[in-house]
Amino acid sequence: MATTTTYSSSEVVYVPRAGTLYDTLELILDRGMVIDVFVRVSLVGIEILKIDARIVVASVDTYLKFAEACNRLDLEATSRSTTVPEMFGGAAAKSVGKRKVRKTIESVGDKLRDVVGGSEEGDEEPEDRQPEEEEPEARPRRRGAKAQSAEGRRRREGER
Amino acid sequence: MTAAGTYVYGIVACGHPVPSGLRGVGMPQAVPEVLTVGATAAVVSAAPVPLRARRRDLLAHQEVLLALALDGPVLPMRFGMVAPDADAVREQLEAGQERNLRALDRLAGRVEMNVKALPATGALAALVAEEPRVRQLREAAHRRPGYEANVRLGEAVVRTLERRAADAAQEIQPELAALAGACSTGPHVDGTVLNLSFLVAREQVVEFRAAVDRLSARYRDRVELRVAGPLPCYSFAAEPEVAAAAAVRTGG
Repeated sequence: MATTTTYSSSEVVYVPRAGTLYDTLELILDRGMVIDVFVRVSLVGIEILKIDARIVVASVDTYLKFAEACNRLDLEATSRSTTVPEMFGGAAAKSVGKRKVRKTIESVGDKLRDVVGGSEEGDEEPEDRQPEEEEPEARPRRRGAKAQSAEGRRRREGER
Repeated sequence: MTAAGTYVYGIVACGHPVPSGLRGVGMPQAVPEVLTVGATAAVVSAAPVPLRARRRDLLAHQEVLLALALDGPVLPMRFGMVAPDADAVREQLEAGQERNLRALDRLAGRVEMNVKALPATGALAALVAEEPRVRQLREAAHRRPGYEANVRLGEAVVRTLERRAADAAQEIQPELAALAGACSTGPHVDGTVLNLSFLVAREQVVEFRAAVDRLSARYRDRVELRVAGPLPCYSFAAEPEVAAAAAVRTGG
Protein backbone atom coordinates (compact mmCIF):
# COMPACT_ATOMS: atom_id res chain seq x y z
CA MET A 1 0.00 0.00 0.00
CA ALA A 2 2.23 2.77 -1.23
CA THR A 3 -0.27 5.54 -1.13
CA THR A 4 1.18 8.97 -1.48
CA THR A 5 -0.65 11.23 0.87
CA THR A 6 -1.41 14.75 -0.14
CA TYR A 7 0.73 15.96 2.70
CA SER A 8 3.73 13.85 1.98
CA SER A 9 6.51 13.82 4.47
CA SER A 10 8.58 16.20 2.41
CA GLU A 11 5.83 18.79 2.16
CA VAL A 12 5.40 21.10 5.07
CA VAL A 13 2.09 22.90 5.12
CA TYR A 14 1.88 26.30 6.66
CA VAL A 15 -1.36 27.30 8.21
CA PRO A 16 -3.42 29.12 9.02
CA ARG A 17 -4.36 30.18 5.60
CA ALA A 18 -7.41 32.36 5.55
CA GLY A 19 -10.47 30.40 6.53
CA THR A 20 -8.71 27.43 8.08
CA LEU A 21 -8.93 26.08 11.59
CA TYR A 22 -7.27 22.80 10.83
CA ASP A 23 -4.22 23.21 13.00
CA THR A 24 -5.27 25.95 15.35
CA LEU A 25 -8.59 24.75 16.68
CA GLU A 26 -7.25 23.19 19.85
CA LEU A 27 -5.26 26.33 20.60
CA ILE A 28 -8.30 28.55 20.20
CA LEU A 29 -10.39 26.29 22.41
CA ASP A 30 -7.81 25.28 25.01
CA ARG A 31 -5.15 27.94 25.12
CA GLY A 32 -5.24 31.69 25.39
CA MET A 33 -6.01 33.78 28.41
CA VAL A 34 -8.79 32.98 30.78
CA ILE A 35 -10.29 35.48 33.13
CA ASP A 36 -12.17 33.63 35.80
CA VAL A 37 -14.76 36.32 36.30
CA PHE A 38 -15.72 36.01 32.66
CA VAL A 39 -15.61 32.27 32.34
CA ARG A 40 -18.33 31.67 34.83
CA VAL A 41 -20.73 33.70 32.78
CA SER A 42 -20.06 32.01 29.55
CA LEU A 43 -18.82 28.61 28.79
CA VAL A 44 -21.47 26.05 29.53
CA GLY A 45 -22.53 25.44 25.96
CA ILE A 46 -19.04 25.52 24.62
CA GLU A 47 -17.76 22.94 27.05
CA ILE A 48 -20.49 20.58 25.92
CA LEU A 49 -19.86 21.19 22.27
CA LYS A 50 -16.11 21.30 22.47
CA ILE A 51 -15.50 17.72 21.46
CA ASP A 52 -18.12 17.79 18.75
CA ALA A 53 -16.88 21.09 17.43
CA ARG A 54 -13.45 19.61 17.13
CA ILE A 55 -14.64 16.75 15.04
CA VAL A 56 -16.99 18.77 12.88
CA VAL A 57 -14.82 21.81 12.32
CA ALA A 58 -11.79 19.72 11.59
CA SER A 59 -13.81 17.59 9.16
CA VAL A 60 -14.82 20.57 7.11
CA ASP A 61 -11.22 21.65 6.90
CA THR A 62 -10.27 18.16 5.85
CA TYR A 63 -12.86 18.26 3.08
CA LEU A 64 -11.53 21.60 1.95
CA LYS A 65 -8.01 20.27 1.90
CA PHE A 66 -8.99 17.33 -0.22
CA ALA A 67 -10.96 19.54 -2.54
CA GLU A 68 -7.91 21.70 -2.92
CA ALA A 69 -5.75 18.67 -3.57
CA CYS A 70 -8.17 17.49 -6.23
CA ASN A 71 -8.24 20.84 -7.90
CA ARG A 72 -4.50 20.93 -8.02
CA LEU A 73 -4.38 17.47 -9.54
CA ASP A 74 -6.50 18.51 -12.50
CA LEU A 75 -3.90 21.06 -13.41
CA GLU A 76 -0.68 19.16 -13.16
CA ALA A 77 -1.05 15.49 -12.72
CA THR A 78 -3.25 13.96 -15.39
CA SER A 79 -0.42 12.34 -17.26
CA ARG A 80 2.42 12.15 -14.83
CA SER A 81 1.55 10.75 -11.47
CA THR A 82 0.03 7.36 -11.01
CA THR A 83 -1.18 6.74 -7.51
CA VAL A 84 -2.73 10.00 -6.55
CA PRO A 85 -5.07 10.48 -9.51
CA GLU A 86 -6.16 6.88 -9.24
CA MET A 87 -6.93 7.48 -5.67
CA PHE A 88 -9.09 10.48 -6.31
CA GLY A 89 -10.13 10.01 -9.91
CA GLY A 90 -13.14 7.74 -9.60
CA ALA A 91 -14.79 9.23 -6.62
CA ALA A 92 -14.09 12.84 -7.40
CA ALA A 93 -15.21 12.61 -10.99
CA LYS A 94 -18.61 11.33 -10.07
CA SER A 95 -19.18 13.79 -7.28
CA VAL A 96 -20.57 11.09 -5.10
CA GLY A 97 -22.01 10.99 -1.65
CA LYS A 98 -20.21 11.25 1.60
CA ARG A 99 -19.84 7.56 2.03
CA LYS A 100 -17.73 7.27 -1.07
CA VAL A 101 -15.75 10.34 -0.24
CA ARG A 102 -15.09 8.84 3.08
CA LYS A 103 -13.92 5.65 1.49
CA THR A 104 -11.54 7.58 -0.63
CA ILE A 105 -10.24 9.38 2.34
CA GLU A 106 -9.77 6.17 4.22
CA SER A 107 -7.59 4.85 1.49
CA VAL A 108 -5.38 7.85 1.82
CA GLY A 109 -4.23 7.19 5.29
CA ASP A 110 -5.22 6.07 8.69
CA LYS A 111 -4.20 9.30 10.32
CA LEU A 112 -7.07 11.18 8.75
CA ARG A 113 -9.63 8.70 9.84
CA ASP A 114 -9.69 10.09 13.32
CA VAL A 115 -10.90 13.35 11.98
CA VAL A 116 -13.21 12.19 9.27
CA GLY A 117 -14.60 9.11 10.91
CA GLY A 118 -17.03 11.03 13.02
CA SER A 119 -18.42 12.91 10.11
CA GLU A 120 -21.14 10.61 8.92
CA GLU A 121 -23.77 12.33 10.98
CA GLY A 122 -21.90 15.37 11.98
CA ASP A 123 -20.69 16.66 8.68
CA GLU A 124 -22.83 19.73 8.67
CA GLU A 125 -21.67 22.57 10.81
CA PRO A 126 -23.14 22.70 14.25
CA GLU A 127 -24.72 25.99 13.30
CA ASP A 128 -28.12 25.35 14.61
CA ARG A 129 -27.57 22.55 16.98
CA GLN A 130 -28.56 23.38 20.47
CA PRO A 131 -26.63 21.79 23.28
CA GLU A 132 -29.96 20.29 24.30
CA GLU A 133 -29.80 18.09 21.25
CA GLU A 134 -26.88 16.33 22.83
CA GLU A 135 -29.21 13.82 24.39
CA PRO A 136 -27.81 10.65 25.79
CA GLU A 137 -29.45 8.63 23.01
CA ALA A 138 -27.64 10.54 20.34
CA ARG A 139 -24.25 9.43 21.56
CA PRO A 140 -24.40 5.68 21.12
CA ARG A 141 -25.93 6.14 17.71
CA ARG A 142 -23.06 8.24 16.53
CA ARG A 143 -20.59 5.84 17.98
CA GLY A 144 -22.32 3.09 16.11
CA ALA A 145 -21.90 4.88 12.85
CA LYS A 146 -18.26 5.33 13.54
CA ALA A 147 -17.66 1.81 14.60
CA GLN A 148 -16.57 0.32 11.29
CA SER A 149 -13.72 2.68 10.99
CA ALA A 150 -12.94 3.18 14.60
CA GLU A 151 -11.68 -0.18 15.63
CA GLY A 152 -8.03 0.39 14.89
CA ARG A 153 -8.23 3.78 16.39
CA ARG A 154 -9.70 2.62 19.63
CA ARG A 155 -7.04 0.04 19.86
CA ARG A 156 -4.47 2.75 19.60
CA GLU A 157 -6.20 4.98 22.05
CA GLY A 158 -6.27 2.17 24.51
CA GLU A 159 -2.54 2.29 24.66
CA ARG A 160 -2.25 5.92 25.44
CA MET B 1 -28.90 30.76 27.89
CA THR B 2 -26.56 33.64 28.56
CA ALA B 3 -27.84 37.15 28.47
CA ALA B 4 -26.13 39.38 25.95
CA GLY B 5 -22.68 40.24 27.15
CA THR B 6 -19.38 41.58 25.94
CA TYR B 7 -17.26 39.16 23.97
CA VAL B 8 -13.55 39.65 24.58
CA TYR B 9 -11.04 38.74 21.85
CA GLY B 10 -7.86 39.85 23.48
CA ILE B 11 -5.90 42.49 25.29
CA VAL B 12 -3.44 44.88 23.67
CA ALA B 13 -1.40 47.87 24.75
CA CYS B 14 -3.26 51.15 24.49
CA GLY B 15 -2.64 52.75 21.13
CA HIS B 16 -2.29 49.37 19.42
CA PRO B 17 -3.54 49.92 15.87
CA VAL B 18 -6.84 48.20 15.19
CA PRO B 19 -7.29 47.45 11.50
CA SER B 20 -10.51 48.70 10.00
CA GLY B 21 -12.86 46.14 8.56
CA LEU B 22 -12.44 43.62 11.37
CA ARG B 23 -15.38 41.27 11.62
CA GLY B 24 -16.16 39.51 14.84
CA VAL B 25 -18.35 36.73 16.20
CA GLY B 26 -22.07 36.44 15.62
CA MET B 27 -24.34 36.58 12.60
CA PRO B 28 -24.42 39.24 11.32
CA GLN B 29 -20.83 39.64 12.39
CA ALA B 30 -20.31 42.15 15.16
CA VAL B 31 -17.80 44.93 14.65
CA PRO B 32 -15.01 44.72 17.22
CA GLU B 33 -14.22 47.84 19.16
CA VAL B 34 -11.56 48.91 21.60
CA LEU B 35 -12.08 49.56 25.32
CA THR B 36 -9.11 51.44 26.68
CA VAL B 37 -8.38 51.74 30.38
CA GLY B 38 -5.05 53.22 31.37
CA ALA B 39 -2.18 51.57 29.54
CA THR B 40 -4.04 48.56 28.16
CA ALA B 41 -7.10 48.00 26.02
CA ALA B 42 -9.45 45.13 25.32
CA VAL B 43 -10.79 44.36 21.87
CA VAL B 44 -14.43 43.44 22.34
CA SER B 45 -17.74 43.15 20.57
CA ALA B 46 -21.30 42.26 21.41
CA ALA B 47 -21.57 38.58 22.29
CA PRO B 48 -23.89 36.43 20.22
CA VAL B 49 -26.76 34.82 22.09
CA PRO B 50 -26.34 32.01 22.71
CA LEU B 51 -22.62 31.69 22.16
CA ARG B 52 -21.51 28.33 20.87
CA ALA B 53 -18.38 26.94 19.29
CA ARG B 54 -19.58 27.45 15.73
CA ARG B 55 -17.10 27.18 12.95
CA ARG B 56 -17.72 30.70 11.73
CA ASP B 57 -17.37 32.15 15.23
CA LEU B 58 -14.14 30.25 15.84
CA LEU B 59 -12.87 31.57 12.55
CA ALA B 60 -13.90 35.11 13.41
CA HIS B 61 -12.13 34.86 16.76
CA GLN B 62 -8.99 33.65 15.01
CA GLU B 63 -9.12 36.22 12.23
CA VAL B 64 -9.50 39.14 14.63
CA LEU B 65 -6.53 37.95 16.68
CA LEU B 66 -4.39 37.25 13.63
CA ALA B 67 -5.10 40.75 12.34
CA LEU B 68 -4.28 42.32 15.70
CA ALA B 69 -1.10 40.28 16.06
CA LEU B 70 0.28 41.75 12.84
CA ASP B 71 0.77 45.08 14.58
CA GLY B 72 2.31 43.99 17.85
CA PRO B 73 1.79 41.82 20.90
CA VAL B 74 -1.69 40.60 21.77
CA LEU B 75 -2.87 38.61 24.74
CA PRO B 76 -5.36 36.33 23.00
CA MET B 77 -8.35 35.22 24.99
CA ARG B 78 -9.44 31.65 24.87
CA PHE B 79 -12.48 31.32 22.63
CA GLY B 80 -15.67 32.15 24.47
CA MET B 81 -14.69 34.74 27.04
CA VAL B 82 -17.79 36.79 27.72
CA ALA B 83 -17.99 39.52 30.31
CA PRO B 84 -21.36 40.57 31.72
CA ASP B 85 -20.89 44.06 30.26
CA ALA B 86 -18.27 46.59 29.19
CA ASP B 87 -17.83 47.85 32.74
CA ALA B 88 -16.79 44.40 33.89
CA VAL B 89 -14.16 44.39 31.17
CA ARG B 90 -12.91 47.79 32.28
CA GLU B 91 -12.66 46.57 35.87
CA GLN B 92 -10.61 43.58 34.77
CA LEU B 93 -8.35 45.74 32.64
CA GLU B 94 -7.69 47.96 35.58
CA ALA B 95 -7.16 45.13 38.04
CA GLY B 96 -4.92 43.19 35.66
CA GLN B 97 -2.99 46.06 34.15
CA GLU B 98 0.36 45.28 35.75
CA ARG B 99 0.22 41.64 34.85
CA ASN B 100 -1.03 42.31 31.32
CA LEU B 101 1.67 44.85 30.66
CA ARG B 102 4.28 42.39 31.83
CA ALA B 103 2.87 39.74 29.52
CA LEU B 104 2.67 42.13 26.56
CA ASP B 105 6.24 43.08 27.21
CA ARG B 106 7.30 39.46 27.32
CA LEU B 107 5.56 38.74 24.02
CA ALA B 108 6.62 41.88 22.19
CA GLY B 109 8.19 40.99 18.86
CA ARG B 110 7.38 37.33 19.27
CA VAL B 111 4.88 34.96 17.76
CA GLU B 112 3.69 31.44 18.38
CA MET B 113 4.68 28.68 16.00
CA ASN B 114 2.79 25.44 16.41
CA VAL B 115 4.32 22.18 15.27
CA LYS B 116 2.41 18.94 15.14
CA ALA B 117 4.12 15.62 14.70
CA LEU B 118 2.25 12.82 13.01
CA PRO B 119 3.14 9.26 12.06
CA ALA B 120 4.79 9.12 8.66
CA THR B 121 2.07 7.06 7.02
CA GLY B 122 3.64 7.54 3.61
CA ALA B 123 6.84 5.83 4.64
CA LEU B 124 5.66 2.24 4.94
CA ALA B 125 8.54 0.87 2.93
CA ALA B 126 11.04 2.31 5.38
CA LEU B 127 8.98 0.96 8.23
CA VAL B 128 9.03 -2.57 6.87
CA ALA B 129 12.71 -2.33 6.06
CA GLU B 130 13.72 -1.05 9.47
CA GLU B 131 11.38 -2.82 11.85
CA PRO B 132 12.01 -6.56 12.27
CA ARG B 133 8.77 -7.16 14.12
CA VAL B 134 6.68 -5.66 11.32
CA ARG B 135 8.68 -7.57 8.77
CA GLN B 136 8.03 -10.82 10.60
CA LEU B 137 4.32 -10.20 10.79
CA ARG B 138 4.28 -9.23 7.15
CA GLU B 139 5.98 -12.46 6.21
CA ALA B 140 3.59 -14.37 8.41
CA ALA B 141 0.66 -12.71 6.69
CA HIS B 142 2.11 -13.67 3.34
CA ARG B 143 2.63 -17.27 4.38
CA ARG B 144 -0.81 -17.68 5.91
CA PRO B 145 -3.02 -14.90 4.66
CA GLY B 146 -6.17 -14.20 6.59
CA TYR B 147 -8.06 -11.81 8.74
CA GLU B 148 -6.17 -12.55 11.94
CA ALA B 149 -2.76 -12.16 10.36
CA ASN B 150 -3.78 -8.92 8.72
CA VAL B 151 -5.15 -7.46 11.91
CA ARG B 152 -1.95 -8.34 13.73
CA LEU B 153 0.17 -6.86 10.97
CA GLY B 154 -1.93 -3.71 10.72
CA GLU B 155 -1.92 -3.21 14.45
CA ALA B 156 1.84 -3.56 14.58
CA VAL B 157 2.20 -1.10 11.73
CA VAL B 158 0.02 1.49 13.44
CA ARG B 159 1.78 1.08 16.76
CA THR B 160 5.19 1.17 15.24
CA LEU B 161 4.39 4.20 13.12
CA GLU B 162 3.34 6.03 16.26
CA ARG B 163 6.32 4.91 18.27
CA ARG B 164 8.74 5.94 15.55
CA ALA B 165 7.03 9.29 15.17
CA ALA B 166 7.03 9.94 18.90
CA ASP B 167 10.71 9.06 19.17
CA ALA B 168 11.60 11.30 16.27
CA ALA B 169 9.53 14.13 17.72
CA GLN B 170 11.43 13.86 20.98
CA GLU B 171 14.66 14.31 19.04
CA ILE B 172 13.26 17.19 17.05
CA GLN B 173 11.90 19.13 20.02
CA PRO B 174 15.22 20.36 21.45
CA GLU B 175 16.44 21.39 18.01
CA LEU B 176 13.44 23.64 17.53
CA ALA B 177 13.46 24.79 21.14
CA ALA B 178 16.95 26.09 20.54
CA LEU B 179 15.43 28.60 18.12
CA ALA B 180 12.65 29.60 20.51
CA GLY B 181 12.30 31.59 23.69
CA ALA B 182 9.90 29.09 25.17
CA CYS B 183 8.23 25.80 24.34
CA SER B 184 4.84 24.58 25.45
CA THR B 185 3.16 21.23 24.96
CA GLY B 186 -0.24 21.73 23.42
CA PRO B 187 -3.44 19.80 24.03
CA HIS B 188 -3.56 16.31 22.61
CA VAL B 189 -4.94 16.23 19.09
CA ASP B 190 -6.18 12.97 17.60
CA GLY B 191 -3.81 11.59 15.04
CA THR B 192 -0.78 13.46 16.30
CA VAL B 193 1.96 12.09 18.52
CA LEU B 194 3.14 15.46 19.74
CA ASN B 195 1.73 18.96 19.66
CA LEU B 196 4.20 21.69 20.47
CA SER B 197 4.07 25.43 20.46
CA PHE B 198 7.17 27.58 20.32
CA LEU B 199 7.59 31.22 21.17
CA VAL B 200 9.66 32.59 18.32
CA ALA B 201 11.01 36.05 17.60
CA ARG B 202 9.17 37.46 14.61
CA GLU B 203 12.34 37.96 12.64
CA GLN B 204 13.28 34.33 13.22
CA VAL B 205 10.11 32.88 11.79
CA VAL B 206 11.73 32.23 8.43
CA GLU B 207 14.65 30.55 10.10
CA PHE B 208 12.31 28.49 12.24
CA ARG B 209 10.38 27.32 9.20
CA ALA B 210 13.58 26.46 7.43
CA ALA B 211 14.59 24.39 10.45
CA VAL B 212 11.27 22.56 10.35
CA ASP B 213 11.76 21.91 6.65
CA ARG B 214 15.21 20.56 7.31
CA LEU B 215 14.09 18.33 10.17
CA SER B 216 11.09 17.24 8.18
CA ALA B 217 13.36 16.06 5.41
CA ARG B 218 15.82 14.43 7.78
CA TYR B 219 13.13 12.49 9.64
CA ARG B 220 10.75 11.91 6.75
CA ASP B 221 10.76 8.14 7.19
CA ARG B 222 9.62 8.44 10.78
CA VAL B 223 7.56 11.53 11.32
CA GLU B 224 5.52 14.07 9.45
CA LEU B 225 5.58 17.65 10.67
CA ARG B 226 2.89 20.26 10.25
CA VAL B 227 3.58 23.86 11.09
CA ALA B 228 1.06 26.57 11.85
CA GLY B 229 2.10 30.14 12.30
CA PRO B 230 2.94 32.82 12.94
CA LEU B 231 0.04 32.82 15.39
CA PRO B 232 -1.00 35.07 18.24
CA CYS B 233 0.65 33.72 21.38
CA TYR B 234 -2.22 31.55 22.60
CA SER B 235 0.09 29.27 24.55
CA PHE B 236 2.27 31.93 26.11
CA ALA B 237 -0.14 34.67 27.16
CA ALA B 238 -0.45 33.52 30.73
CA GLU B 239 2.52 33.78 33.03
CA PRO B 240 4.09 30.36 33.45
CA GLU B 241 3.02 29.92 37.06
CA VAL B 242 -0.47 31.17 36.28
CA ALA B 243 -0.71 28.75 33.39
CA ALA B 244 0.28 25.89 35.66
CA ALA B 245 -2.33 26.85 38.22
CA ALA B 246 -4.96 27.09 35.50
CA ALA B 247 -4.05 23.64 34.29
CA VAL B 248 -4.49 22.26 37.78
CA ARG B 249 -7.88 23.94 38.10
CA THR B 250 -9.05 22.64 34.75
CA GLY B 251 -7.86 19.17 35.61
CA GLY B 252 -9.61 19.12 38.98
